[in-house]
Amino acid sequence: MEFLSLTLGQVLVTFGAVTAFSVALYLLDRTRRRQVVATLRFWVSPGQPAPVSRNRKIQQKTSLLLQLLGMLLLLLAIAEFQFGGSLNKRRDHVLILDTSAWMGASIPGRSNVTVMDLARANAIGWLRAVPPSDRVLVIRGDSLATPATAWELDRKKSVRAILESSPGATALNLTQNLEFARAMQRRSGATAGEIVYSGPGRISAREANNLNLPAIPALRVIATEEPTEHSGIRSVGARRSETAPGTWDILVRAHNYGKTGKSVNVSINFGKAPQGLHQLDLPPGKDQETTFQLRTKAAGIVEVRLYPQDAFALDNYAALEIPEQRTLHVIVYSDNPESIRPALASDPRVNAEFRTRAQYTSANDGLVILDRFRPESSPQGHVVWLDPPNDKPPFPIRERSEHPDGLRWIPDLPLTQGLRARNTQIEAASVFDSTTASDRIAETEKGPVMVARGNIIAIGFNPFSGQMRYELSTPILVGNILRWAAPEVFRDVDVATQSTGSVASPVPATVDRNTVQVLTDNGTVLPFNIHDRSVQFFAGEPARVRVIAANLERVFSLTLPEMWDSKWTPPTGARKGIPALTDSIRRSTILWPWLTLAGLGLLLAEWILYGSQSTSRLRVVKAIPHQANQQQEAA
Amino acid sequence: MPTAPLLDRHFLERLERLALRWQKSFPGLVGGHNRSRFAGGGQEFLDHRGYHQGDDLRAVNWRAYMRLDKMFLKLFQIEPRVPVRLLLDCSKSMAANQEKFDYARRLAASLCYVGLVRHDTFEVIPFADGIQEANVCGGGRHRFTPLSNFLNTLRPTGDTDFLKVVRRFLNDYPQRGLVIVISDFLDEAGCEKALQYIADYGNELFLIQVWAPEDRTPPWTGELDFVDAETGAQLHIHVDSDARRAYTQQFDQFAEGIKTVALRNDGKYAGIPTDMPLEDAIFGTLIRARGVA
Repeated sequence: MEFLSLTLGQVLVTFGAVTAFSVALYLLDRTRRRQVVATLRFWVSPGQPAPVSRNRKIQQKTSLLLQLLGMLLLLLAIAEFQFGGSLNKRRDHVLILDTSAWMGASIPGRSNVTVMDLARANAIGWLRAVPPSDRVLVIRGDSLATPATAWELDRKKSVRAILESSPGATALNLTQNLEFARAMQRRSGATAGEIVYSGPGRISAREANNLNLPAIPALRVIATEEPTEHSGIRSVGARRSETAPGTWDILVRAHNYGKTGKSVNVSINFGKAPQGLHQLDLPPGKDQETTFQLRTKAAGIVEVRLYPQDAFALDNYAALEIPEQRTLHVIVYSDNPESIRPALASDPRVNAEFRTRAQYTSANDGLVILDRFRPESSPQGHVVWLDPPNDKPPFPIRERSEHPDGLRWIPDLPLTQGLRARNTQIEAASVFDSTTASDRIAETEKGPVMVARGNIIAIGFNPFSGQMRYELSTPILVGNILRWAAPEVFRDVDVATQSTGSVASPVPATVDRNTVQVLTDNGTVLPFNIHDRSVQFFAGEPARVRVIAANLERVFSLTLPEMWDSKWTPPTGARKGIPALTDSIRRSTILWPWLTLAGLGLLLAEWILYGSQSTSRLRVVKAIPHQANQQQEAA
Repeated sequence: MPTAPLLDRHFLERLERLALRWQKSFPGLVGGHNRSRFAGGGQEFLDHRGYHQGDDLRAVNWRAYMRLDKMFLKLFQIEPRVPVRLLLDCSKSMAANQEKFDYARRLAASLCYVGLVRHDTFEVIPFADGIQEANVCGGGRHRFTPLSNFLNTLRPTGDTDFLKVVRRFLNDYPQRGLVIVISDFLDEAGCEKALQYIADYGNELFLIQVWAPEDRTPPWTGELDFVDAETGAQLHIHVDSDARRAYTQQFDQFAEGIKTVALRNDGKYAGIPTDMPLEDAIFGTLIRARGVA
């Protein structure tokens, strides 16, 4: 309740004065009047005392009440009284238009009509019901709340923003959208209006399980029609097979979003050639997985399709780009290749080539291992010197030590990863005269016996001979050296296609945060967080993102739309649908004419009933004599 | 300056169908229209009686003589012309509401016209605290205009003194007849006794009580200074619904007393409020009261 023209105090004071004046006039008007009558004899009852004058009192209470009420209504009309209180002030409304991926679903039975179209129409319908003086902020709501307009009074801009809104690729994060809308209302400075959500209200299971919506005093939900039956690809993953070299395991997971079970077909193509077709029986609301075997070393795109197509086609197709399975060419110059061969043959990613010293060339496209051999010209690229001779070694040799004690691996180096400090017995070792501590990889009590600088590693002993060839340290050391020479070849590559939005990639617990990178194809670094043994990042748009953590690489083809898991049930106090004419969102803009009419009507009624005495009372008297006559005549 | 006619022509034409009625038999001149229990030279057969010497032989029933060998005389009912006197109240109480006096004058004019049409002789006698100059009219409807003019000249004045008026009336008009009183009968000294005198002298009463609506149902409420229109006495009272109800009850008791006087003396009574159309009063109330037929 408010007054636009006067304050409440002014209204009360004015009405008080009017009331006092009216009552005074009333009492004066109703005081003694002189009236000439035909006789006085009937005013005095025989045997009874004559009536006496009484003090002034209000005789016609109804008349006075009608007068005061009529004048009050007129005063309220002058003051431009309005119902609704703060609701009639300028309010700021927030419209959250759902732009989640699901909004692109088609409505069954309606050609070319999507859920987004209906939500747009509902939003515009609500916008038309908003009083012109109220401001509206349009937010496109998916996993992020994105303002599409500022606080606008211009409805054309708001409508344009609504019409330009289109379905995104992520699921709706309702909590975040509502919190953002509430925060914007608080900051606007004006009276908070409604926060309106227009959409089907489909949210993820993660949000549904921890739903903690902010307290919103005026929440309106405009529900949108949506298809009820749908199934789609949830995710596609590819991993190098651990059993078959050159083979990918393609894992496809599909989900039935409908309420009835259905049978679907999943097919994969690679290089546009069919590679397999599996049938999946999807129970309602459940996931099903199937695995394809794809034998290829080449890079290419794996296309996964789900049949039959339904109302939402975006998740019936997924593409997965798998990388080439590369190998490391290792050339070993050794007179005793048989001792080294088992260490290199265990990994299919290593293409080992053993040569004699006579076959030496300086060409190197991977890694060269020189076993107690010093060529005339040093090889290019990565080189590992095993027990280099004293003649022109890659690092100066201080001395030759027999059965040195206390072999110790320098910790926290890529080349010593997994190696533990242990008194490994070696037969003989050359002790290098290394001046910098950073070059040291392993050392004995007499000095460093393994050093590395640039592309060169020099090992002062032969790990493939003697007692050490039976130690676990040797294959770990070989693995570290191979990973040092070509880290990209030996990374564990996982390729996955899943939905956009929030992505979590598991990493080992011991991973160093500084070694983690999250990159897009164009080299953009995405912010991430490591929590609960997983790298978490957010991609709002379809993209190909690589997560690199130590020797792990996981490639995410975020091309699938992020889908919902459950339907949000609005709170019971929420308003629903487009507001009606009597809804509180509408302002009774022009109330004073009605108040004026009502006030005048009351005053007119009072005048007719009480003001025009001569007319009205004669009318009353008329019927009585007839009745009296008839009674007399009947008697 | 010509005054407006009291009654319009159309209403007068309707009045020509009526005649004044009275119940008593009065001696009077032959030529009236009301039957009388007196035998005489009328047209309507009344009875037979034995012939006495000196009776008019023209009235002997010779057929009965031929059959019975006795002479019987046929008696005829006379229809005498009875004097009609109309007492019209011109006191100030009739002027407390101008409408009431006008209404009374128009009612008197109507009754006079009815009588004139039937060749009754009318005497319109205005009165207040005494009898004023009367107007005698008779001989047909063409004598109505002087009577109408006479009524137009009347003005309410003076207090009501029924007893004084009746004494004077009985002195001046000893011949019995129909006495029509048009008044509000508001006399501080009471009017019942005076009216009873008129009846006791053999006159037939036809009392027409005229009242304004506020005379019976006062519309006022609150603090009021009532002034008696005749005496000028003042009464300062507070009027509320209870007082108004008691007032009406008193008035009805008073009217009932007037009616009782009339009926007790074989007369007639009619109470007419001024808000009743005159046509309804004549053709309704007065006919039901058998004052006119």
